[in-house]
Amino acid sequence: MKGKNQGVWIGEKDLTNDPSFIEISQQEFASLPEILGNEEAVEQVEGNRRDFLKMLGFGVGAAAMAASCDIPIKRAIPYTVKPDTIVPGVATYYASTYTNGSECESILVKTREGRPIKIEGNDLIGYGGTSARAQASVLSLYDTARYKNPMMNGGDSTWAEIDKKAIEVLASSNSVVLVTPSIFSPSLQKAIDAFTSKYNAKHVQYDTVSHSALLDATEKAFGLRAFPNYHFDKADVIVSFDADFLGNWGDSNKNSVDFISKRKIKTVSGAKMNRLYQVETHMSLTGSNADNRVLVKPSEQGAAIVALYNAVTGSSLPGGALNAKAKKAVSLMADDLKKASGKSLVVCGTNNEAEQMLVLAINNALGNIGNTMDMSDALMTFKGDDKAMMQLMNQMNSGSVDTIVLMDVNPAYDFSAGGKFSAALGKVKNKLAIAYSNNESVDGAMITAPSSHYLESWGDAQPNPSKYMLQQPAINTIFDTRQDAETLLTWAGVDYGGDIMNFVSNVFAENAFQNQSSSSNLKRYWETALHDGFVSVNTTSGASGFSGSASASGITKPVGGDGIELKIFEGALGNGANTNNPWLMEMPDPITRTSWGNYLAIPVEFDGFRKMISMNGLKDGDLVNVTVNGDKITVPVVQQFGQAPGTAALALGYGRTVAGACAQGVGVDMNPFVGMDASGNRSYSVSNIEISKKVGKEKDYSSVQYHHTYGVTDTDKATGKEINADEAALVTFDYGMGVQGYQGALKNRSVMYYSSLEELGESVAELKKRREHAQHLNDAQIYGGHDYKYNNGHHWGMHVDLTSCTGCSACTVACMAENNVPVVGKTEVARHHEMTWLRIDRYYYGELENPNTVYQPMMCQHCDNAPCENVCPVNATNHSSEGLNQMTYNRCVGTRYCANNCPYKVRRFNWLDYTTADIFPGNQPTLNGENTPFGADNLTRMVLNPDVTVRSRGVIEKCSFCVQRIQSGKLTAKLEGRKLRDSDVKTACQTACPTGAITFGDMNNKGGNLDSKLKNPLNFIVLEEVNVRSSVQYQMRVNNRNEKLDA
Amino acid sequence: MVGFTSTSFAQEGNPDEGKTLFRNYCATCHSKDMKKNLTGPALGGVQERWSDWPLEDLYAWIRNSPALIASGHPKANEVYEQYNKVAMTAFPNLTDENIASLLSYIDLVVAGVPGDGGPKDPDGPVVEKKGVSKWIYAGLLGFLAMLALVLARVIGNLNVIAAKKENPDALIERKSILDILTSKGLIGFVLFALIILGGYTTVNNAVSLGRQQGYAPEQPIKFSHATHAGLNKIDCQYCHDGARRSKHSVIPATNTCMNCHRAINYGSEHGTAEITKIYASVGFDPINNKYIENYDDMPESEVEALYKSWMVKANKEFNEKFADADEDDLNDLANDQWKELVDKLTNREKKTVKGPIEWVRIHNLPDHVYFNHAQHVSVGKVECQTCHGAVEEMEVVQQMSPLSMGWCINCHRQTEVNFEEEGYYSAYEDYHKELKAGDRLKVTVEDIGGLECQKCHY
Repeated sequence: MKGKNQGVWIGEKDLTNDPSFIEISQQEFASLPEILGNEEAVEQVEGNRRDFLKMLGFGVGAAAMAASCDIPIKRAIPYTVKPDTIVPGVATYYASTYTNGSECESILVKTREGRPIKIEGNDLIGYGGTSARAQASVLSLYDTARYKNPMMNGGDSTWAEIDKKAIEVLASSNSVVLVTPSIFSPSLQKAIDAFTSKYNAKHVQYDTVSHSALLDATEKAFGLRAFPNYHFDKADVIVSFDADFLGNWGDSNKNSVDFISKRKIKTVSGAKMNRLYQVETHMSLTGSNADNRVLVKPSEQGAAIVALYNAVTGSSLPGGALNAKAKKAVSLMADDLKKASGKSLVVCGTNNEAEQMLVLAINNALGNIGNTMDMSDALMTFKGDDKAMMQLMNQMNSGSVDTIVLMDVNPAYDFSAGGKFSAALGKVKNKLAIAYSNNESVDGAMITAPSSHYLESWGDAQPNPSKYMLQQPAINTIFDTRQDAETLLTWAGVDYGGDIMNFVSNVFAENAFQNQSSSSNLKRYWETALHDGFVSVNTTSGASGFSGSASASGITKPVGGDGIELKIFEGALGNGANTNNPWLMEMPDPITRTSWGNYLAIPVEFDGFRKMISMNGLKDGDLVNVTVNGDKITVPVVQQFGQAPGTAALALGYGRTVAGACAQGVGVDMNPFVGMDASGNRSYSVSNIEISKKVGKEKDYSSVQYHHTYGVTDTDKATGKEINADEAALVTFDYGMGVQGYQGALKNRSVMYYSSLEELGESVAELKKRREHAQHLNDAQIYGGHDYKYNNGHHWGMHVDLTSCTGCSACTVACMAENNVPVVGKTEVARHHEMTWLRIDRYYYGELENPNTVYQPMMCQHCDNAPCENVCPVNATNHSSEGLNQMTYNRCVGTRYCANNCPYKVRRFNWLDYTTADIFPGNQPTLNGENTPFGADNLTRMVLNPDVTVRSRGVIEKCSFCVQRIQSGKLTAKLEGRKLRDSDVKTACQTACPTGAITFGDMNNKGGNLDSKLKNPLNFIVLEEVNVRSSVQYQMRVNNRNEKLDA
Repeated sequence: MVGFTSTSFAQEGNPDEGKTLFRNYCATCHSKDMKKNLTGPALGGVQERWSDWPLEDLYAWIRNSPALIASGHPKANEVYEQYNKVAMTAFPNLTDENIASLLSYIDLVVAGVPGDGGPKDPDGPVVEKKGVSKWIYAGLLGFLAMLALVLARVIGNLNVIAAKKENPDALIERKSILDILTSKGLIGFVLFALIILGGYTTVNNAVSLGRQQGYAPEQPIKFSHATHAGLNKIDCQYCHDGARRSKHSVIPATNTCMNCHRAINYGSEHGTAEITKIYASVGFDPINNKYIENYDDMPESEVEALYKSWMVKANKEFNEKFADADEDDLNDLANDQWKELVDKLTNREKKTVKGPIEWVRIHNLPDHVYFNHAQHVSVGKVECQTCHGAVEEMEVVQQMSPLSMGWCINCHRQTEVNFEEEGYYSAYEDYHKELKAGDRLKVTVEDIGGLECQKCHY
C-alpha cells in the first residue's frame, strides 16, 4: 500500500496524470447531450419572444386538447383456459440447461405470464451463478434477426415443402456431410446417428475456437479423445500456459468456482491460498487473476513448456531460446510445483499437440493425474476435429461433396482458413441449413430449417458422463421454428411420434435411468430430473492410464528477431455466435474495458521515470494499419499493461458481415488470420506483422476505462503539491498572507486495498489504522450519522469480496436483465453515456509493465449520509427507513445535481430515449445504425421485467439494491408468517456471481450471512473518510505472489 | 322408513344454521331454490329420494360422498353415474346436527318460505343525498345574495339620507346599477374571484387528469356482480383467485365461469344471450353438454350454426314466454342475440368469437406504480370492499375509489399493522419493546415505512 491511491491505477493516462484525463474526471458528465439529426441546423435556429409565445400557446392548447380527450380504453384479457402452473403476476421457474456451442450450464428460467425474462443459476448442482453469456442468452430468444419461418432458395416456405425437398435432395445425393458443433446431447446424438445411417452421411464436428490439439493428445495418452476433468479446487499450485480457464477454456464456470474456493480468506492468521502462474502473451481474464504472470511471445510458449518439462523431470529436451525473465520464472515455478506434487496442476491452452502432450507428461511426472485431473469423468463438450474439417474442405474443393447440412455452425466465418472455406462451400451442389439466424455460411442456402431457441426446446446434455442435464421449454415456439433433433429425425424419416418430449424422455430412459440405482420408477425419476434440471448417473470410463511420450519435435519454435508477433484470442464475447446480443456487445471487456468492437492491444513500456511509452507512440483510440501475412487491416489500438513486449493482440468474434443489425460490421474479423500448424491444428498467432504509425482516430472510442472515475489526484501547477482532482467544485482559496490552498483537499482516499498473502498481517494492521483515522475524521464532522434510525426493522447492506471477484461480468449483464437497464450503442458509450447500474472498475497495481489486476464491482453504495439526497430540489431521491437510497423516477425532473454530488459516480442519466418509451422517434438513438431502434419492437420488449419501471428520457437512475426483490422477499416471509431469511432476498448480481463474491442481506439480522461477512478484518469501505456512511463493504484483494520472481 | 325411527338421527334441525351452512358449503354447486339441477342435483326432496335407504346413509352421503361411492353403495353409485362421475366435495367436519339443520332448511325452502333474498334493497336506490344538500346550499347562497342586495340598497338609502341631512340643497344622484357594475371595486373583486376560482379548478382538474373515479364502462358480457356476489354469495376470491397470492387480483379465465355455467345455462335476467358468450369463447357445446375438440380449427359458420341452434333450443325450453313461440320468432331472436354476441366478443384486432373475452379494465394504475393484492388481502387482511366498494350490489361495476396517491397514503397513515403475532414483524424489535412498555399504542403502516417512495415506485 504505497504511493498514489494505495498504488493502484486505471490506465496509462491515470498513471501519468494526463491533462485530458484530469479534465474529464472533474466532470460527472463528460459530454453534452447529442443533438439528433442535423446538428448544424439545430444550432443555427434562433428563437425570439414571438416564437416563444407561439410555442407556449401551442403547448397550452395541446395540453388542453389532450386533457379533454377520453381516457383510452384499456383491456384486461384473461386466459380462456388458465394453466394450473401460471398465476398472473407471480413468476414461475423452470429448471433447464443453457447450451451454446461448447458452453453448458444448469440454469433456472424465470418466466412471467409465460415469457422467459431472466436466467438464474441452479444451485442444486453444487454452485449457483452463471456466466455472462448465459445471462444474456434470454435476450437472444427475442432476437429480431432470427429466422421466423422455413425458407427455400431465399423465399418463404412451409415445413411440408422444405421437408419434402430436403428428403428428395438428400436421397439423391452420393455424399452427404453434416457439420455441427460438438455434440454432447444424447438425444441429438441419436437423431444424428439416425440421419447419418439413413443417408450414409459423414458427421463432422468442430469448435468455434479449436481445442483439437489437446483432444488429440489425450487420445494418444489415455485412449480417450476428451477434455480432461480438471479439479482446480484440489490444486495448490497451478501453472497455466495460455489457458484462459476462468474465461473460455474448458468448463470455465466450474473452473472459476473451484479456483476461487481455494482463495477465500476468513481470518488473518493461518490464511491459505492457492497460487496461479500464468504464462501468456496477452492479458487474459485468467491472467488478470493470476498471482504471477510470465510474459512470453506466442512463439516462445513451446520453449517455456519444454523448459518446465525439463525442470520438473530432469530431462533435457531441446526447446529453443526463451527470454531471460521467463527462463528464471520457469525454474522457480518448477520448484513450487514439485513441492506440491499431486496437489498441483499444469494446464495449457495452446493448440499444439506436442505442447499439450508435454504438459500431460508434466502432470504425470508430478503425480497429478488421478488427483487434480482425471479422464474418468472427462468433459465431453469439446469434440472438434480440425483435421476432419480440413479434409472436408479439400473434398468440397474437389467437388466430391454433393450435399452439406450446416447445423448451428458458421464455418465460413469461424473456420475461415484464410477465406478458403467460404470458397469451398460455394462448390457444394446443395447447401441445407439448420440455423437460428442468418450468417456468413448459411446465407443463400437452398433450404433453411429455422431452429428453435434452447428456451423453446426439449433436450438434454451430458457435459460429463456423470452429469445428465435436461432442457425443457419455458415458452412455446414464438415463430414457426422447429428444434434441431426434430428436423434431423424428420429428414431421416424416423417416426418419433410427433412429440419430441417423448423422444427425449425415451433417450433419457435408455441412457440415464439404466445407469443409476437411486430410483426404480422411471416416471418419478424423469420428473425429479426435470424438477432438478439434472441427475447424476453412474459411468464407466473408457480411459486408460497415461501412456504418452513427450517429445519436443512438434512444438512452436521461437521466431526470434524484432518482428512483432500477433496473438489472436477469444474474448468475453466468444467467437461470433453472441455478437448480435446487445447486452454482450455493450458489456465492457473486463480487461481493456472496451465495448462495441475489438481493439489491438499493444504493450506499454516504462521509461524509468514517470512516462509510459507504447509502440510507435500510439495512444488509446488511435487507428493503425496492421499488415498480417500481407493483408492490411485498420484497427484502433488500446494500450495494454501486461502485454508481452514485441507483441500485439486482437480478439476473435467481431467483424461479422452477415448477421443481425447489432453485429453488422462492428470491429474486424480475425478468423481469416488463424493459421494451421504442421500437425493440422489451428494456430492462433501470427509472426512478423507490421503496425503502422497513427493513421487516424477512432470516431467513437467506446472504452469505459476513464469513465466515472473517482479518487483521482493531480499535481497543482502553482505549488507543486498533490491535490484532489476529482470534482469541479474544487475551489482555490487565497486569504492573503500566504494562506492559500484547496477546499476538499482529501487526497489519499480509500479506493482500493490489496495485499499479498505474506504481508497480510501488516496490511490488515495498516488498514485498521486508516479506518480508525477515517472514523475519527467522520466523528469530528458536524454531520453526525443517523445510525440510530436503522436499528429497527431491516437495514440492507452488501459485502463484496474482491479476492473472489474474477471480473467475469456476469453480474453486470444480470443487472441489466433484472432492472431493464437500457443499452445505448457505440456512439453513446463513447460519450460516457453508458447506463450500467453496476460497473466493474478494473485497477492495476504492482509492477508497472506487468502489473497485477483487481476488479471492483461498483454500484450505488446506499449511503446512510448520502450526498445525492440533500441536493435534489424535488426530493426525488431520498432515504428509506431500511437504509435504501431511493430513486423515484416519476418525481425526477432531471437536474442531475445528485449525479454531480455522488462521490462514487454511480448515477446514470437518460440523455436520450434509450428505452424507446416516449412517442418522439427523434429522441431514440440506434445502436449500430439499424432501421428500428433497439427495443422499439414488441418482440424485444418481451424481455422486460414487468416489476421494474421502464425509465423515460430525462430521469436519473441507479442501482436500487434490487428493491423489487427485497419487496417480494418480504412479502413471501409475511405470507408465510415467519421471519425473513437470507435466502428470501438475493440481488440479481449476487445470484449471478458464480464465485460467491457478492453477499447481500439485512445488517440487522445478527448471525446472518451478511453479518458474519461484515466481521471480516479485511473489510474496508470505499471513501470511508468522506463520511457518507455507505452500506457496502469490500474485502481487500489478496494475492499469493511469489516475490522470488521479481527479485 | 327405518331411518326416521332411528333416535340418533331424528333430530330437529335449526333452519337458520342450515341457511348459513348451505351458503358456505352447498350454494356453489346446488341451486338455491332447491328445484333445479346445477352442477349438483336439486336438493328439494332429497330425503324422499333417499327414503329407501337408512338415514345414516344420507348423512354419510352428505358428509363424505366419495367414501360412500367407494364402499359400493348402490344409490350413491347411481347418483354418481347420473352426474358424469363428478363426486361432491367431502365435508368431514359437518356434525349430524349440522346436517339435520341443512335438511330442515332445504325443507323450508321447498315448502315455499322465502329463500335467500340477498342484499337487494326493496326500496330501490337511495336518492342521491349529496344532491339534496347542494340545493340547500344553492338556496342559502341565493338568500344571502338577496340579503346582500337588500342591505346594499339600505346602505345606499341611508347614505342618501345622511347626505341630504348634511346638505339638503345638493342634488344627490343615486348610483345607477351601471355605475355599481362598472365600479373599480366590483370589477377588481370579480377579476380576483375569477382568478382564484379558475386557478382552483385548473389545479384540481390537472391533478385528477387520468383519474377515473366512477368509471363504469360497458363490458362485453353483462356480468352482474349483484347476482353473483350479492344474490348467490359467491366469494370474491373464488373467481379473483390471484388476490390472495399475486399482485394481480386476476380477471377469471373463462374456464372458471364454466365451473358453474356448465350447468347454469339460462340466466334469470338475460336468458341465454350472455351465457352463450362464455360457451362461444371457450368452445363448449351446451346441446351435447361437452367441450368441442379442436375448437380453434372449427369453421366460423359451424360455430354460428351451433350457438344459434342452442339459442333457439334454450329460449324455447327455459323461457315460458317463448314456450309457444313459432320457429321464425325464435330464429329472429337467435339472430339478434348472435349478432350482439359477435359484436361484443370481436373487435378490430380480434376477428373471431373464439378465445379470451376482452373485458374493459376499470381499475388502472400508472405504469410507475407497483401495487400488490396479496400484500393487502392476505397480509393486511383488508376487505375487498374497502377499496372497491360494495361490488356485490353493483349491476355494472364502477371504480369507487379515486386510486390517487393521496388516497393510498391516507390509508397507510391510518391503518394499524397487526404486530401481535410472532413472525415477520419480529424484526422490528424497538416497536415491540415500546408496545410492551406501553410507550406506543399502535404501529401503523406509516411507522414501518409505508409512506416511502420505493414501497410503490421502482
